[in-house]
Amino acid sequence: MSPSAPVRFRLNGQPAEAPCEAPTILLDLLREQLRLTGTKRGCDLGTCGCCTVLVDGRPTLSCLTLARLVDGHEVTTIEGVSPAQGLSPVQRAFVELGATQCGFCTPGFIVTATALLRDHPHPTRAEIERAVSGNLCRCTGYRKIVDAIETAARGGT
Amino acid sequence: MATSESRPYRLLGGRIPYVEGPLKVTGRAEYTDDIQRPGMLVGRVLRSPWPHATIRAIDVADARALPGVSAVLTGEKYPTPFGVLPITHDETAIAVGKVRYIGDIVAAVAARDERTAEEALARIRVDVEPLPDYPDPESGTRPVAVPIHARGLNGTNIQKEVVQHFGDVDAAFAQAAYTARVRGTFAGVTHAFTEPLVTVAEATPDGRLTVWSATQVPHYLHRALSEVLGIPLHRIRVVKPEVGGGFGGKSDPLPHEIVCAALAIETGRPVKILFDREDVFYTNHGRHPTKNDIRIALDANGQILAYDIEATIDGGAWSSFGTVTTYYNGVLSMGPYRVPNFRYKGRRVYTTKPPSGAMRAHGGTNLRYSIEVALDELAETTGIDPFDLRARNALPSDSTTVNQFHIGSTSFLACLAAARERSGWDAKFRRLPYGRGVGLGCGFYISGSNSPIHFTPKMPQSTVHLKVDMDGGIAVHSMQADIGQGSNTLLAAIVAEVLGVDLDRVHVQRVDSDVSPIDLGSYSSRVTFMMGNAARAAAEELRGYLLDAAAELLGTPVGELEVGPERYQRRSDPSSSVTFLEALHKAMERRGALTASGSYQTRPMGGSFKGARAGTAPAYSFAAYVAEVAVDVETGEYRVEKIWAAFDCGRPLNRLAVEGQIEGSIHMGLGQVLGESMNYRGDRLLNPSLLEYKIPMPQQMPEVEILLVGADDPDGPFGAKEAGEGPLIATLPAVGNALYDALGVRFPELPITPDRVLRGIDQRRAKGVAWKGS
Amino acid sequence: MHLDAFELHRPTSVDATVRLAGELAGRFDFLAGGTDLLPNYKMHLNLKPHLIALEDVGELHGHAGDRIGAMCRLADLEADAAFLDRYPPLADAVREVATPLVRASGTVGGNLLVETRCFFFNQSYFWRASLGFCLKADGDQCHVVPQKERCYATFSGDLAPALMALDAEVEIAGPSGRRRHPVGALYDTAGDGIQRVTLRPGELVVAVHLPPGAAHQRGRYKKLRVRPSYDFPELGVAVAGVWDDGRVSELRLAVGGVDPHPRRFDDLTDALVDHAPSEERVRALGEEVARRVRPVHNTFLQADYRRRMVAVYVRRALAEAREPVAA
Repeated sequence: MSPSAPVRFRLNGQPAEAPCEAPTILLDLLREQLRLTGTKRGCDLGTCGCCTVLVDGRPTLSCLTLARLVDGHEVTTIEGVSPAQGLSPVQRAFVELGATQCGFCTPGFIVTATALLRDHPHPTRAEIERAVSGNLCRCTGYRKIVDAIETAARGGT
Repeated sequence: MATSESRPYRLLGGRIPYVEGPLKVTGRAEYTDDIQRPGMLVGRVLRSPWPHATIRAIDVADARALPGVSAVLTGEKYPTPFGVLPITHDETAIAVGKVRYIGDIVAAVAARDERTAEEALARIRVDVEPLPDYPDPESGTRPVAVPIHARGLNGTNIQKEVVQHFGDVDAAFAQAAYTARVRGTFAGVTHAFTEPLVTVAEATPDGRLTVWSATQVPHYLHRALSEVLGIPLHRIRVVKPEVGGGFGGKSDPLPHEIVCAALAIETGRPVKILFDREDVFYTNHGRHPTKNDIRIALDANGQILAYDIEATIDGGAWSSFGTVTTYYNGVLSMGPYRVPNFRYKGRRVYTTKPPSGAMRAHGGTNLRYSIEVALDELAETTGIDPFDLRARNALPSDSTTVNQFHIGSTSFLACLAAARERSGWDAKFRRLPYGRGVGLGCGFYISGSNSPIHFTPKMPQSTVHLKVDMDGGIAVHSMQADIGQGSNTLLAAIVAEVLGVDLDRVHVQRVDSDVSPIDLGSYSSRVTFMMGNAARAAAEELRGYLLDAAAELLGTPVGELEVGPERYQRRSDPSSSVTFLEALHKAMERRGALTASGSYQTRPMGGSFKGARAGTAPAYSFAAYVAEVAVDVETGEYRVEKIWAAFDCGRPLNRLAVEGQIEGSIHMGLGQVLGESMNYRGDRLLNPSLLEYKIPMPQQMPEVEILLVGADDPDGPFGAKEAGEGPLIATLPAVGNALYDALGVRFPELPITPDRVLRGIDQRRAKGVAWKGS
Repeated sequence: MHLDAFELHRPTSVDATVRLAGELAGRFDFLAGGTDLLPNYKMHLNLKPHLIALEDVGELHGHAGDRIGAMCRLADLEADAAFLDRYPPLADAVREVATPLVRASGTVGGNLLVETRCFFFNQSYFWRASLGFCLKADGDQCHVVPQKERCYATFSGDLAPALMALDAEVEIAGPSGRRRHPVGALYDTAGDGIQRVTLRPGELVVAVHLPPGAAHQRGRYKKLRVRPSYDFPELGVAVAGVWDDGRVSELRLAVGGVDPHPRRFDDLTDALVDHAPSEERVRALGEEVARRVRPVHNTFLQADYRRRMVAVYVRRALAEAREPVAA
């Protein structure tokens, strides 16, 4: 590819195309070029999980992903896991149970939880804790986050 | 749960989901880094690699010459010192004349992109003469060759010294039946909010400056910008978008915020400074590394006779809140127990390290750990159960401490009773097998400060404005700062409660200094108490207009009316009513859109001696926590299995938020026990990353049983007190004392990492003294 | 944080990769999952002008039978419980790597070749510059054991000890064709934290092969760290073996996280074969391993503590391998 070749991929269900250089990081492409700011930048080093997106359905640290390597793949961001109207069950549970405080880590948790519940519709509490242990939350002490995911798995509050 | 479930209010006291929750779970909430302005430049700062040095010269010519660079700033352009406390302005936006720690800001650039900005920084040449460094506060208590600041006391690095003595401590110790002494050592810890520090600034041709920033106290930022940049307050607009956590770390006005504004002025273009995580660690302002030395005297009945407290506090390079810290590390020992004699000597010492400042449960945490460990020792020595010992010494409601704090409400005894019963204490304490244990730790914290940083002490600490037009939506303006704790939700709920309207009518507006009346922001656990009272007052004024209108429509005296759901009705006949909108439209006939204003100010309090106002508060929170731990005695690894958290926040107004604050506080407090620690080699921070700064994981969180047992506080809004910081404090000693119950080993040093646990076990074994059959 | 400019190459076959690696010798890094390399690149650690992404090399992907491709994602192994159940130490190790998000991208080959770590190396350019850099990047001085000859950075992969205990082999492709050798031979035991692997120029790890005998051996991997997630190993102990009626007929032990490379201790474990080792002998084994390793204080926990834990973890790993506890 030339220094600034377009990367073509599916983004939140739609075809997307953006010029990017070899060192361009997916998080930068999403936030700075495509202005999808729901994906958060907390550490840039893979140590907080705020930037989690789905790549081919797999929760992925967008801060440690080269944008060019998603060429031909499917990327889903927090904007993509959110329904056009209203909230998804896990989003609703986060709101109702107070699993957000400052909210900065929340999109990452929602993306991670969405994938977890897709693959494991009935996780145990321990499985939930393990699944979110790459997403850092400094506000809630995690308890209400785990409660919310558990509740969403049970079909809501 | 042993909680008071009485619900005299329609909304308050329930579980109210956060009003901004739907925006946060969808990624639609706007944080400062999400703000994009046309033509925005990237701002970057150059940091000092030297811990202490005189700046001889800075050559910025090559940086300026780089294409794409719009501005290069050094310290002399804006040398006016600032700082959060008016009495200790010792910071500058960019270093002037010397640097004081590795990470101090030496220069700043604005450029078209990040790469260009970093290339420009690399081209700046700084010529310095290294000075002796002072990583250790102890050495700075004596005169030093080159003090870090000229304001250090008598040629030392001491920033603040506090000496207080009430009663006669020596006499009390002379007649004591029992004494205990704990010498605590506490590593520095930091807030580690998930949203990095970030600011956007834009100077416009109309002579105005707008600053968006991740701040807990927009008003202090507003003032610092004005002072340093020399621009009148009314020409600066400070906006607070959503803030991704603060915990005290966004409460000082910070240098990069001023630098960002200065770069915007220099370039005439919008500028954003977004910090890397490492920058955030250097900015720090976290909990001070501390050594304290606590002696407690008891009489033969287990009554506390005296506290004798010393503390040496590692301030880092700046003052920040340090003068307050120095007082707090003594005076926040004045509850929850009656202490008739009290002596304190505290020193905060500048060091050539990242500045310490205010972090959740500021000043109360390390002090409380040592006190509660000492009381645990005394319980053992006297043979009095730890609960009984504390109950015997509890301060009563409506009492005054020896240093003249007024204790309004306290439900501390109820906290003790609930924690004891629910934890099964009597069956567990000293009865669990070796390696398992339970421990009690208690807490006490201010619910707002009576001694705010303000223009004059006479101005209200919080003001809330309401506006309602014919649509029936109520706009709420206040500079209170929601940083995730739920203050917007509480503000809306109080207004809705008073007016009797649905919550979705109330729209809390983004903090914007152009339109938001001043509230001093989110620190010192003041928001619920102060903003809550102001909001109540504002809503009551508005309700007055609506009731007047309703009375007119119903042809009834106002005194006969009461508030119903979305309506105002006759007390004697609720079916005779008008809707909120009918009353509103009637009221608007005379004056158009309705506005109302409420404010809150603390009443005068405290003694007249030096430092008397430090720690005075309109109310105090109380806590009694029991932790249960299980230790792997071969590796020193341990797990905190459960915490019973009995807390007195008066009436909890939003149970969801109170629980969230308690659970989050326990998590953060646990971090300081389990492994959070700013590790230094000399003045070099070894772990400025979220990988090596060990915030606990979800699997490490214990089960938490929350016991809200507070009675209404007479001065709190609807009876409420704080729940944002106090809940952290008791966590630490509860775990420390539980480890003692498990192992028979005291851990006066935090964090208590497995290697330290094992060393403690070894030392006890070496003495050959058995513990619980081991 | 941005990445400096580099040229990104995306070969689609092993042969093409080897050819490219030969052409770019010394001027490139392989990019597998990126979770180790890209943070290091963001911190300007030993940047190269070329990256060869292995993403598109089909042969490297997936796992089947007793073969695991080098680009097999850790999360994909983790999701295949039937596969992992055959190799308990590997199962333990895979599940303990970093975080679920790192495992989603991180690969088997990447973990085998994970860069050695040290408090004085894994830092930003600014941080390292303020100290005058270190032997391992941009400097000539070690700050852990002050001298200028040897780097003490610690091997921090989790999979290697487990695979070494299972007697697994790596398949390597290079200019002179394919070769296979034990996983342990990947690591240069005569080297240090810098000279850490034995791969020759142009070579890459293609796959890991588990020997037929490895399936259903008993074993454990036990990892010491401060937190149950995120943290690299402060110590990792893997054992695998065969017990018949308490008698050991086969036993291997490998340790990582305490030296610049993972190590096996065959002379010590061989001595236990054909015995029903007493508690005393097992204890002595652990203590001897602890005596031989050389942890230095370049990770979070103190070196003497980590050394002491070697003995405990070895003993426990053996006990738990012998008497597996239900998960």
